[in-house]
Amino acid sequence: MALGADRYATRGDTFLFVVTLALSLVAMSLPPGTRDPIASSLRRTVLWPFLQLQSRSEQLRMSRAQFAEVEAQRDSATLAAGELSEVRAENARLRAMLGLGARLGSGFVPAEVLHQATATDRFTVVISAGSKRGVQLLAPVVAPDGLLGFVSTTEAATSVVATWAHPEFRASGMAADGSVYGILEPHGSSGSVWLLELSGVPYRQQVPVGTRILTSGLGGVLPRGIPIGTVVGTAGETEWDRTYLVRPAVPPGSVTHVMVLTSPRTDDLNGAFAPDTGKAEP
Amino acid sequence: MRRGESLRFGFVIALLVGLQFSVRSRLGDERVAPDFLLLALLTYTIRARPGQSAVAGFIVGLIGDALTPASFGAGALAHTIVGYLSSWAKAVFFAEKLLVNGGLFFAGTWLRNAILVLASGKFSGSQLTWELFVWSPLQGLTTAGAGIVMLVIFRQWVTVRVGES
Repeated sequence: MALGADRYATRGDTFLFVVTLALSLVAMSLPPGTRDPIASSLRRTVLWPFLQLQSRSEQLRMSRAQFAEVEAQRDSATLAAGELSEVRAENARLRAMLGLGARLGSGFVPAEVLHQATATDRFTVVISAGSKRGVQLLAPVVAPDGLLGFVSTTEAATSVVATWAHPEFRASGMAADGSVYGILEPHGSSGSVWLLELSGVPYRQQVPVGTRILTSGLGGVLPRGIPIGTVVGTAGETEWDRTYLVRPAVPPGSVTHVMVLTSPRTDDLNGAFAPDTGKAEP
Repeated sequence: MRRGESLRFGFVIALLVGLQFSVRSRLGDERVAPDFLLLALLTYTIRARPGQSAVAGFIVGLIGDALTPASFGAGALAHTIVGYLSSWAKAVFFAEKLLVNGGLFFAGTWLRNAILVLASGKFSGSQLTWELFVWSPLQGLTTAGAGIVMLVIFRQWVTVRVGES
């Protein structure tokens, strides 16, 4: 039974709709310098209990996975537990995380990724570590497979990470053997797979498919040697240089745990990551 | 609305918000998993007037924008429009049939995602096509499914009675 639209749509309703619509458009047009403090204050106040709840939920999920791992090792039913692919994948990620932590030694903070429901979640992700734990602006954020992005906003308990998929992401990259240097930026889409572009490579220098690309350390923001991805093809060329397509090592949508590098590193970090990191999957 | 009914209705809304931040991450691919926060908004619009729904949509959208600053404002815009239209549509098409409500949940989710990806300006080409015609419909289906389950369980608590508004 219809209640009747005429009974609902009063002038007051229309006025409220127009006002909220206008406020939304104003919010969209705010410069980053204005909108970031607003978003940050919302995360610190209204959203704080919900982010805590989400963080606890992630921790509970991780604890359950660890418990399942201990049980599986103790029990001869390891094979049965092995069929739970989700648990196995979670365990593999956690083991890789522990291995990365041991190899990095010190100067990092572990954190959970608090994924959100919207499609733009892959451009920026919220993590459960903030300035109280030493996270600073522009700190590199890594997963066991390589670079996820860098910290763009930080508050006491959480931080926002701009991933490599963010339109404003730029990084200085190099081939694993140091023979070729270029600038990395998001390429866009190919089907549902996102890629990076390695541009500015001199025309005479060839980069074979399968070459691992690492951060070069130039620019002083990202340390040298963090895997970014693997060359999968050529995007284009000019008279002077070529642009290569790079398949990123870390998919932002599926990463669950990360480490934030909290102190400046001058050493080459390549050895801290797994040897097969950044290799393209078939 | 009487006090007891308000409390029960508020409980359902709070439950959906709690599910968003506790259970959702365990429900598979985030592009497809049901959006309980949007479901809470659409449920709220069952009883609220269009103006109130627009304000609620703006608040929900702004909260979402605070968590994904890459598209700040786009979420508020999308949720405001969806909240207003949902409340208005329920005044026009109001029915106690589950499938009609499920259809509104599906349409609301798809429309929210469509406005969000278009307003954010971060998508183009084949990725935009995938978001509009693959991931958004799938999330619409899962959100509608979750909404139907919610209505089956809490129907007496959330549906509006004729003569009440």
